[in-house]
This record gives sequence, structure tokens and C-alpha cells, in this order.
Amino acid sequence: MNSLYVYLFVALFLFCVGLWGVLQRRSLIAMLISVELMLNAASINFLAFNRFLSPDPAIGQIVVLFIMGTAAAEAAIGLSIILALFRRYQSVEIGKAQELKG
Amino acid sequence: MVEGLSFELLMAIVVSMTGLICFGLIMIFSLRSINVSVTIGVVGSVLSWLAGLYLFIHYWPAHEAVVFQVNWIVSDNIQVPFGYYFDPLSLLMLLIVVTISMLIQIYSIGYMAGDTGKSRFYACLCLFAWSMINLVIAPALLQLYIFWELVGVSSYLLIGFYFEKFSASEAGKKAFVMTRAGDIGFFIGLVLLFLAAGHLAVDVFSSGHKVAEMIPHLKPLFPMNPETLLTLSAILIFSGAVGKSAQFPLLTWLPDAMEGPTPVSALLHSATMVAAGVYLVARIFPFYEASHLALLVMLIIGTITMLLSSTMAMVARDIKQVWAYSTISQLGFMMMGLGAGAYFAGVFHLTTHAFFKALLFLCAGVFIHHFDTNDFFDMSKGGARKMLIPMIAVTIGVAALSGLPPLSGFYSKEAIMGALASKHWIWLAAGLLGAAMTAYYSFRVIFVMWFPKGGAAGHEHAHGHVGHADADDAGAHGAHHGKAVWITEWCMLSVLIALSLITLIIGVFFHKDLEMFLTGAKEMAGAAHGHVAAEGGHGIGHTTVLVLALGCALAGIVLAWFEFGARRATQMGFLSRYKGLERLFANRWYMDHAYRKLLDYVVYGGFTNTLTRNDRVVIDGGVDGVSNLTLGLGRVISRVQSGLLQRNLYLTFFLLALMGLYFFLV
Repeated sequence: MNSLYVYLFVALFLFCVGLWGVLQRRSLIAMLISVELMLNAASINFLAFNRFLSPDPAIGQIVVLFIMGTAAAEAAIGLSIILALFRRYQSVEIGKAQELKG
Repeated sequence: MVEGLSFELLMAIVVSMTGLICFGLIMIFSLRSINVSVTIGVVGSVLSWLAGLYLFIHYWPAHEAVVFQVNWIVSDNIQVPFGYYFDPLSLLMLLIVVTISMLIQIYSIGYMAGDTGKSRFYACLCLFAWSMINLVIAPALLQLYIFWELVGVSSYLLIGFYFEKFSASEAGKKAFVMTRAGDIGFFIGLVLLFLAAGHLAVDVFSSGHKVAEMIPHLKPLFPMNPETLLTLSAILIFSGAVGKSAQFPLLTWLPDAMEGPTPVSALLHSATMVAAGVYLVARIFPFYEASHLALLVMLIIGTITMLLSSTMAMVARDIKQVWAYSTISQLGFMMMGLGAGAYFAGVFHLTTHAFFKALLFLCAGVFIHHFDTNDFFDMSKGGARKMLIPMIAVTIGVAALSGLPPLSGFYSKEAIMGALASKHWIWLAAGLLGAAMTAYYSFRVIFVMWFPKGGAAGHEHAHGHVGHADADDAGAHGAHHGKAVWITEWCMLSVLIALSLITLIIGVFFHKDLEMFLTGAKEMAGAAHGHVAAEGGHGIGHTTVLVLALGCALAGIVLAWFEFGARRATQMGFLSRYKGLERLFANRWYMDHAYRKLLDYVVYGGFTNTLTRNDRVVIDGGVDGVSNLTLGLGRVISRVQSGLLQRNLYLTFFLLALMGLYFFLV
């Protein structure tokens, strides 16, 4: 097993943990954190592929910088949505927010 | 077969088209101006009477039928002719129709005076007479059928003439629907006959040997041999006559038909509507003679009708209703005569009956016009016997109806009795019973009206000259005075006098002539029946029958005298001692109730409910089903949209994973 796979497995693990968190945690904040984990897993993938498969143009690293920016913006928007929800429901439980039920 | 425009053909066209032209003229141009309409109607009817009279005299011995016809529809080997057919029967009937319709139009000048719908009335009378005239002279049964229905339509219009009155519009509807019920059978019978014989020519069906020739050539239709087919179609065609002539199962429309103005009742009951049924049977009588079963059915139905309606007449208090029931019973009597094989007797009774029944109704009209009531007990109390001319006329009519010599009814009834005597004694017994009942109920009316009892003096008429109701009438109908009243009254009275004279003389002077005229031509045509003259009594001699019939009539009259006429009479019929019977008769043997029940259960209960259910369950259910299905599906799919974010995410990732797996593997 070469080192690329080690990275990929770590990223997969991180992604699965994040996914599990998003799907399973009740708290919106925990879900937001889990989303960050998944984004990080994606970043690791980018870096790993960049490093081992085509090192010359460091596009993967640039993409990771973008991802970090996006993640920051996403965290800001997500937290403000969570705050708005909290104002409405006095809680950050995801189960409370189901007004769009058909 | 039209060869040139001879004078006879011209007259035939006049007699057959005048009514329609008058109807059109009145409806289009003169609905607003009553006097013009009346003139058109009366002039038209006089014209067609003259033409009819000319034809009758011109063709008098009429040994051979004269046919004018053109082919109306020709297709493959189907030919539908249209035209005129003159033989003794149609000429006689034509003369009756034009005479009575003319007299009634003259009478109506007086009777309908002051009615705002008089123009419409005259238009409908013209249409009525026109339909009947063309029915009578039809050379083929299809034409007869078309005008048969037109007679039905115009009688509907006239019975429901006072359509703003609920009972009148109901009566019109009832008459129309009930006769239609019979006509369905008539039409099916015609179709069967047409399919089998290939034509519906009257001159074949009205001659014995041509019918006999035709039978082996009938096409076998379904698994039916020609005799069965013949009997079936004869009975089906007879069902049309049952409806039109108010015979047993379909008789209750006729008593209600008096909702129309009285002249209409007179026309309906004598020459036009109800006579059509008997005329149809007489028209194709040799065809009926070919089937014994059909004749037997006719005899049975005629007997039932005659007895039933006689009992109904015995308890009625409405003078028009008594005459209506007596019409039904006399029609039944004609059917009995025809069913017994006596062609001449049936037709002769139809003739005499047409005149005396028109007379009776028109007399009733005079009384109703004067006293403004239909109840003859009230008329009697009001002083009906002071009106000498109508009273004498109604007495003549009643005597003819009861079959007293030397009036016309005597000869015709006696001819039918003779025919019945040649059959089983039971028919003769029924006929005699009917004659006794007829004499009883008709003389009941007469005695009540001549000899008012109880409170009679309350309403004395101070005027000297009786016969026309001058002072009172002018008071009651303030609209017309002096000369106008005189014209009004004499229009009515002169018609009464004319009809009384006809009733008086037709039996004495024309009995033998008419018999020669009708049966002579029949025998010329080689009719294969020996007992036409109706006088060949097998068991009982001719004089015996005559004495029996007269005796029964006299017995009825004597009974009526003791109950209604004599000084001590209570004017309570013997039937009032049997409440149950009285109620049964007064309610027309509950036939209307039976029809009501039938309607409720079969039409409303069966058809209407089924159709309503179909509407509700199938049609509404179908539409509702589609919308419910959409809603239900929506509900199922909306379950996906649970609002639970994580469940949605599960689904999303699950699907993504599946897609990934797919792309990975493929």
C-alpha cells in the first residue's frame, strides 16, 4: 500500500465521520461542525492527489484555499441561520424545524 | 298513379289540405285577430265538408276502391306511397269527420265567445280535423300511422288548451303518453308486417282474398311461421287501437281528457281521436279476420272495457265524465262487434255513435256554459229543464245511446247484439248487461235533469221563452249583449238541432243503404267471410236478441226512473248502498292508482333510481376518483417531504451512493 492510499483512507474516514455526524446529530451546530469535517476530508483528497499524481502545477492547493474560504463563509452563514432558528424555536434541535413538511 | 288533374282529385286535394292551410294561415297571420281566425276556420271546414260530401256522393256505390297516390319514398324494393284511398269505409268515415268537425267549428263560435285563445283554438281544431281526414283516406298504413300520431299531437294541444291550469296540462300529457304506450306496439307491429309483407298497402289488407293470397308469401321472419307472424303483428297493431280508442288497460286518459273545452271533447269522443282506433281495426278488418286469436283478443278487451267503464259511469256526478265513460263503453262495444266478426255492425255503430255522442257533449257544453258547473245535480237545481231545446236534444241523444227505437243507436246496437249472439252466449250476456247499465246511467242523468229534487225552487228563471238562455247569460257574460248573445246561442242551438235530426233519421232511413254500401263492396271484393251481415244468429233467433236487448235497456231505464225520476225518488243510486263498490267505481277501479304505483315502482323506482345511481356512482364517482387519486398520490409523495432535514439527507446520500456504485461498477 503506497502513501497515497493512506491519505485517501484518512480522508475517507474523516468524510464518513462527518457524514455520520450530519445525518445523526440532533444539534445544528454539531451538524455544521460535521460538515466542516467533510470539507476537510475533501481538502485532504485534493492535496493528496495534487502531491502524488501531478505535483507541478499546485492547483490542488489553490482549490484547498478556496475550500477553506468557502467553509468560512459557509460557517458564517450557517451560524447566522442557526441563530435565526434559535430565535424562533428557542432551540437548535434540527427536529424542531419542520414547517416545510408536505 | 296520378293521371291528370281530374275534378275528383281536385276535391280530394281540397278535403285533405284545407285544414293544414287554415292552420298555417291562422298561426302565421291572424293569431291576434280572433274574428279573422274564426272566419278562416269555419270557411275552411265548410269547404272541406262540401268537398267531402261531393266525394261521398260522387263515388256513392263505390264498388271499386279509387286510389290516387304518388311514391313518396322509393329505395331498392321499398316503396312508400302517399295519397288518397277512397272506398266505402273511408268515404263514410271522411263524411263523418268533415261533418262533425264543421258542426263543431260552428258551435265553437258560440261556446268559445270571449275566450282570448280563440284563434289558437281554431288553429288546433283545423289541425285536428286535417290529421284525421288524412288518416282516414290513407292508402298505406305508414301514412295512416303518421297522421295517427298527428292526431295524437293535436289532441294533446287541445286537451291541454287551458294550459295555465295544472290539471289541464297534466291531462294533455297523460293522454299523450298513454296513447303513445299503445303506439309503440302499433309501430312494432307495422315494422314486423312491413318486413314480412314488403308493403303496407291498405287495399291489400282490406280485402279478404288478397290477405289470403298474401299469407303464404310472407317472408319467414325469425323462427315464425306466417300465421304466427300475422297474429303477432295483428295484436301489436291492435294495441295502437287500444291506446287510441281508450280500451281496457289504457282507458284512463279519456275521462281526464275532458279538461279541454267541451267542443274538443265532443270532437275527440265522436269523430276524430277515439274513432281512429276503431277505424284502424275496421280498415284492415280482413287482415284481422285471418287470425282468430287476434279477433278473440279484441272481443275480450272490448268486453272488459265496456263493462268496466259502464260501472264507472254509474256513479259519476260530472256530466262530461258520464259521457266520457259512456264513450269508452261504446268503443268497447264496437270492438266487441268487430271482434265477433261483424264488420258492418262495428262500423255502423261507430257512425251512429259519432253523431249522438257529439250531440250529447255539445248539449253538455250548453249546460256548462250556462250554469258554470259540471255537476248535473247542480244543473238540475239551477233549472236545466227550462232550456227546452238542449233538454230535448240531450234526451234524444241519451235515447240513442241506450239503443231505443227508432233512433240510430237502436239499429247499430241491435246489429252488434246479433253478431254477439252468433258467438258464445257469454258475449251476448255481457253485451246485454252493458246495454242495461248504459240505459241506467244515461237515463239517470236525464231523470235528474228533468225532475229536480230538493231545493229546486231556489233559483227560478223569470224568462218566458226557453231554449236559449238570454237574460241570465247576458248578465253572467256581461261582455256581449243583444244581437251578439242571439248569435252565440243560435250557433250552438242550431248545431244541436242538426245533430238531433241526424241522430233521428240515420237509423231509420239510412240503415239499409249504409249496409249495402259497406258490405256490398266488401262482397264485390270477394271477402271470404259469410257472416258479415251480422244477422246469422246460430243459437238464438234474431227477434229474440232484439227483444232481449230492448228488455235490458228498458229494465235499466225503469230502475233509473224509480231511483231518480219518480216523485218519491231519493236520487240516490242503488250503488250508494254498497259503499265499497261505489268507491271502487268512483275511483275507476283504482286503475289510476295502479298506474301511479307502476310509475312509482318501475319508472321512478326502477329506471330513475338506476340512472340516478349511475349518475352518482359511475359518473360523479369517476370524476371524484380521478381527483381523489391525485390527492392520494400527492399525499404519498408528500411523505417524502417530511420536513426532517436529516431524513432528506439520508435519502440524498443513499441515492448518491447508489449512483456512485453504479458508475463504479459499470
